[in-house]
Order: sequence, then structure tokens, then C-alpha cells
Amino acid sequence: MTTQAVRPVLDAAGAVPEQKQAPAPRANSTGGRWRSRRTVALNVIGIGTMLLLWQGLTAAGAINSFLLPSPVAVLDSLWEMSKDGSLWVNLAASLKRVCVGYLMACAVGLTLGFICGWSQVVAELVRPIIEALRPIPPLAWVPIAILWFGLGDMSAYFLVFLGCLFPLFFGAYTAVRSIDRNQINAALCLGASRWLLFSSVLVPASLPIMMPNLRLALGIGWMCVVTAELIAAQTGLGYLIQQSRMLFQIQNVVAGMVAIGVVGFLMSAAVERIERRVNAWAPSERN
Amino acid sequence: MTSSACHIDISHVSKIFGAGEPGEVVALRDVDLKIARGEFIALLGPSGCGKSTLLSLLAGFQTATSGALIQNGREISGPDASRTVVFQDYALFGWLTLQKNVEFGLKAKKVPKRERAEIARDFLARVQLSGFEDKLPHEVSGGMKQRAAIARAMAPDPEILLMDEPLGALDAQTRVLLQEEISRLSSESGKTVIFVTHGIDEAVFLADRVVVMSPRPGRIREIVTSRLPFPRTAEMRADPWFTSTVSNLWETLKPEWQKEDEQ
Ligand SMILES: Nc1ncnc2c1ncn2[C@@H]1O[C@H](COP(=O)(O)OP(=O)(O)O)[C@@H](O)[C@H]1O
Ligand SMILES: [Mg+2]
Repeated sequence: MTTQAVRPVLDAAGAVPEQKQAPAPRANSTGGRWRSRRTVALNVIGIGTMLLLWQGLTAAGAINSFLLPSPVAVLDSLWEMSKDGSLWVNLAASLKRVCVGYLMACAVGLTLGFICGWSQVVAELVRPIIEALRPIPPLAWVPIAILWFGLGDMSAYFLVFLGCLFPLFFGAYTAVRSIDRNQINAALCLGASRWLLFSSVLVPASLPIMMPNLRLALGIGWMCVVTAELIAAQTGLGYLIQQSRMLFQIQNVVAGMVAIGVVGFLMSAAVERIERRVNAWAPSERN
Repeated sequence: MTSSACHIDISHVSKIFGAGEPGEVVALRDVDLKIARGEFIALLGPSGCGKSTLLSLLAGFQTATSGALIQNGREISGPDASRTVVFQDYALFGWLTLQKNVEFGLKAKKVPKRERAEIARDFLARVQLSGFEDKLPHEVSGGMKQRAAIARAMAPDPEILLMDEPLGALDAQTRVLLQEEISRLSSESGKTVIFVTHGIDEAVFLADRVVVMSPRPGRIREIVTSRLPFPRTAEMRADPWFTSTVSNLWETLKPEWQKEDEQ
């Protein structure tokens, strides 16, 4: 199950750099309110209908509530887990892992991406290695991760790191390569040192192009942490649902899944907010 | 020209792209030009005649295949703040306000914060952008962007200003106004200016000497020395010397430009 859930996303991530993303993919930043009231109403109706149908079908016995507990039962168990603290403890463990793994991947992936974007020679050395490793889904690394790091945080960091590394690398690589040569020349003829060129030109010029990949990588990291916890950890939301399954507490399994979905959505929404701010200068300047 | 007055000495410069390969392009062949301190040179020619290449060699962005480019007796070996560039597409830093854009070269020179803010404001005022300091480039018009880019290039007080078709992307009225401003700014500052253009009247209006280039391979074809005084003003466009020079140049260049048009 989890393999299928994770793999397509990773493939999509791998394909991103080839698609040559436009720096400002959404026009909504200039279109005022990003969601009209009508859209919100329709969204609410859609999700409400689904929940009602789900509740109705389980209440009527059309859905076996052992296989899929009703939304009310799920909410109830979320409430219970939040009261006894298990939800928060496990959520905190997962968040810590995704943060550490993500930051490690940023440090390595972005640095390497910048260097490869800057130097053709290094790019030709490094890219085959990256291309060779990229198709291996993080799940396939689990046995090795357990062998190297045992069960626990280190394995999870490692898997998140692997999942985030490639989109971050390609984000930085394509961003640097797509920077307008004249902007670099402008900085150089104004006497910019290497450091000033890097910090005041290369980084800000590439941020708008990198942002979608930063967001994508975070989403992948979140999936990887859950995957890792299903197998290679003894805390975290992934562990929580795996543990609940073994105890036949199916409503807790679904509650854990809901928590994972909600947190993933919130993380992505938060990064998208930052993204819109970063992109504020970009659209018309790069027409 | 005495050696002390000679600011830039371009001698026997050639630039070949992809030298030795089947599709090599001779962008410049055996270009020779001495430029005096404070002189305003217009490089005029149809597109593809190597104007940008020559400017880029002068800036130090590229190196010549053969020959030498000497500034103050020393060979130009890379970009530095004594020669700043104004680009046709402005190349402003889109994430910085106009003020911060103009401050960039001063920051690179490690001018203290308050001082550089003051200098930048002063230069923005000189190009009539007071009140727009805190705008981002995408919030202002093309003409204003180019003014800001000129202020940015002048703020670090370079010896030489290199301009590559700076008015090429602007509408006709803005272009005329900016020509006069550029003439005023350059004669006030006394800087050596090398100004690339394919506008005949623009070249004749602005320059001490119009260096006419021709393509395939790029080379200097003739040099026209101006008789107009500085700074140039709007009335000079009606000056008999101006009009006859423009039309003579047009007559001599027409065959070449038509040829280019047909390709
Ligand atoms: N980096 C490059 N690689 C190969 N050919 C180039 C390069 N830059 C310029 N050229 C060629 O050199 C010639 C002169 O170009 P350029 O200096 O841009 O002309 P201009 O600015 O007068 O239009 C053109 O034929 C152009 O195609
Ligand atoms: Mg050109």
C-alpha cells in the first residue's frame, strides 16, 4: 500500500527539473483574493457531501465499520488521542524528523545544486551519480537504513534526506542555470565580490524558481517520514497507525491518517504563502 | 593623441567564436581604436557587426582571441568597477528597490551604509527619479528602469561607462528625452562613454566620434568626428551639419542594412 502511495510522487518529483518550471506558475498572486467566496462554498459543499455520505453509509451498515469507521468515530478517536497526548507526542516526533531530514537535504542538495549550476565541469561529474540514485524510491532504502542506523530517528532522518535531496538539488541547479547572464555581469562590473554575487544576486534571483521545488521536497519529506515510521521507528504518526492496526483499533488508524493529511496540507499551505511573497517581484520583471 | 590622453587603446583586436570549428564566427577582425579620456564614442552598425562583442571585451566579460585592450596602460583582464555597463534589457535586480539597485556598486565598494544611501538618492535625483526610491523595478516604466540602471552604473564613480543599446527597447519619445539626459549627464561627469547603437541620428546626436562598423567580419569602416558642442540639446537636431551627416551616413549604410534586411 505505502509503496504505491509514495512512488508516483517521487517520480513526479524527479521529473520536475526537466519540465523547466516557469518562475511564477500561478497568476493568482496578481488576481487579488486567491479564492473567491464561491470557490470556498463549493469546496465546503464537496467535502461536506463526501463526509455525510460516508457517515450515512456506515450508519446504514453499507460500509463495514470495522473496515472503515465512520467520520464521527474517527473524530472521536482523534479527540481521545489528543486528550491522552499520544497524538501530540507522535506528531512532534514526526515533525522533528521531517525538519531535521529536510534541513540536511537543503544543506547538501542546495549547495550541490548551486555548485553544479555554476560549474559545468562539476555538473558533468555529479549529475550521472544523481541520475543513477534518483530512480530508487526511498522505500527501497529502508532495509539499508535499518542496517546502517537501526530503528529510530537516524533511519528516519536518512530516508527523509534521500526523499528531499533530489528535488532540492534540481531546484537549485535549474534555478542557477536559468539566471539572466546579464544580471551576473551587471553585478561583476559593479565590483561585486564572490560573496556579494552569491548572497545578493544568485540566491535572490534563483529563489522564485526554487520555491516550487522547496515546497515539493517538503511534501515528499513528510511522506517519507511516515513511510519510515511504519517500518523503522517506534514513535511518530506512522508508528501510531501501524501500532493501532496491530491492535485492531481501526478508527485510530484512520485518525492517524487524517492527522497526516491535515499536517501535510498545512505545511504545504504555509510554504505556498512564503512562495507567494518571494514571487511578488518576479512576474513582470521576467516576462 | 598623446599616450597620457589615451584612455583606452584597442589594438588589433579579433574575436572568433568557436575558433577552429566548422561553424566559427568572426565577430571582430583587427579592430583598432584609441579613445581619449572624457570622449563620447558611439559604436554604430547593423546588428551582428560585433558591437556588443566589442563592448563585452571592454567590460572584461569576455577575452579577445587576439590583440589587446589597454586601459590607462594596463590590459583589461576582467570586469571591475572602473568600467560599468548599462544593458539594453536594464538587468536591474528585480528583488531590490531602485534605491538598493543604485546602492549595489557602492556596497561592493564598502561605502558605509548612510553614505551610500545618500549618494544613491543623489544619483536617482540626477536621473529624475526622486520619489521612486522605494519602487521595485517591475513597478516602473521602461524609461524609468533605464534611468535607474544609468544611475546604478554611475554611482560607483567609474572611469568609463559602457552602454549597449540602452535606449533600444524604449519608445521614440522616451528615447529622445533620454538621449538629451545622457548627453547632459556625461558632459557633467566628464566620463569616457562608449555607447552602442544602431540608430544613426542617436549616434550623431550623442557622440564626439561616431565609429561606424560593418559586419562579417565585424570591423571599423569609418569614423565621423562631430562638430556639435556639448552638451547636446534638442535644437541641434535641426543643425545643418547634423542633418547632412545623418543623411550621408544613411546613404552609405543603406546597402549594407538592406542586405541585412533581406537575410
Ligand atoms: N557567444 C557567442 N557565440 C557564438 N557567436 C556569437 C556569440 N556572441 C556573438 N556571436 C556572433 O558574433 C557576431 C556579432 O555579434 P554581436 O556582437 O552581438 O553583434 P551586435 O551587437 O553588433 O548586434 C554575430 O554574428 C553573433 O551571432
Ligand atoms: Mg548587440
